[in-house]
Amino acid sequence: MAIAVKLDDLLHDRRMTLTDLAERVGMTLANLSILKTGKARAIRFSTLEAICGALSCQPGDLLRFESDQAKRARKTTI
Amino acid sequence: MSTPAPSTPALPIANAVLRILIVLNWLMGAGILALLFVIPNAQWILAEFRLSPSPDADRVILGLRAVAVLGLVGIPLNYVVLKRLLAIVLTVREGDPFTAANAHRLKDIAWALLGLQLLSITIGAIGKAISSPAHPVHLNAGFSISGWLAVILTFLLARVFAEGTLMREDLEGTV
Repeated sequence: MAIAVKLDDLLHDRRMTLTDLAERVGMTLANLSILKTGKARAIRFSTLEAICGALSCQPGDLLRFESDQAKRARKTTI
Repeated sequence: MSTPAPSTPALPIANAVLRILIVLNWLMGAGILALLFVIPNAQWILAEFRLSPSPDADRVILGLRAVAVLGLVGIPLNYVVLKRLLAIVLTVREGDPFTAANAHRLKDIAWALLGLQLLSITIGAIGKAISSPAHPVHLNAGFSISGWLAVILTFLLARVFAEGTLMREDLEGTV
């Protein structure tokens, strides 16, 4: 998927765990984990709103467009 | 996400009927095979149609043998329909019928039904060709509007299932 979820970075910056976030936004840990690992196929506006509210961030801070070519290039440099 | 379907008598009945039909289908296949290769069918046909050995009688014998061969071809097609339907019934019992596998099964059923309709038309045509006013041959086969409607409906249903499965996958991947 060309959309990368930067939830890990945001949680790290705010010294917060996924469990803390799940409690704050009222979502299951399983669903947040799906989002964090990039396995989600879609995200509801209500979920985005709740996460942005809890992490005090903008949707753009959470999501990033990454073309497959850029993704491959990043993988080879790692 | 699968929850077993609420208990209704329709599913166990469908399950049992389909299993019986599968066995009957094989028995019918065995019967046709026996008729073709074991039983002296030429004499039997001559006696049944009160025919005396003649070129006309040979034509009837050949036609009925061709019908029997086509009937034999129909056995695996019937099996595909019944077996796939049984698998679909089992997934309904398990509470998870909207799967890609069921969409494929419905497509298989649609192709098999199409094959059976074509066989039916061919058998009907043979029946007409060998029938004569002196020796009428009535075969319960030929073009059937309801049969072709069933083919179209099954192809459509397969497509609906495939789309529905994709939509469900999307919904399940939505957070």
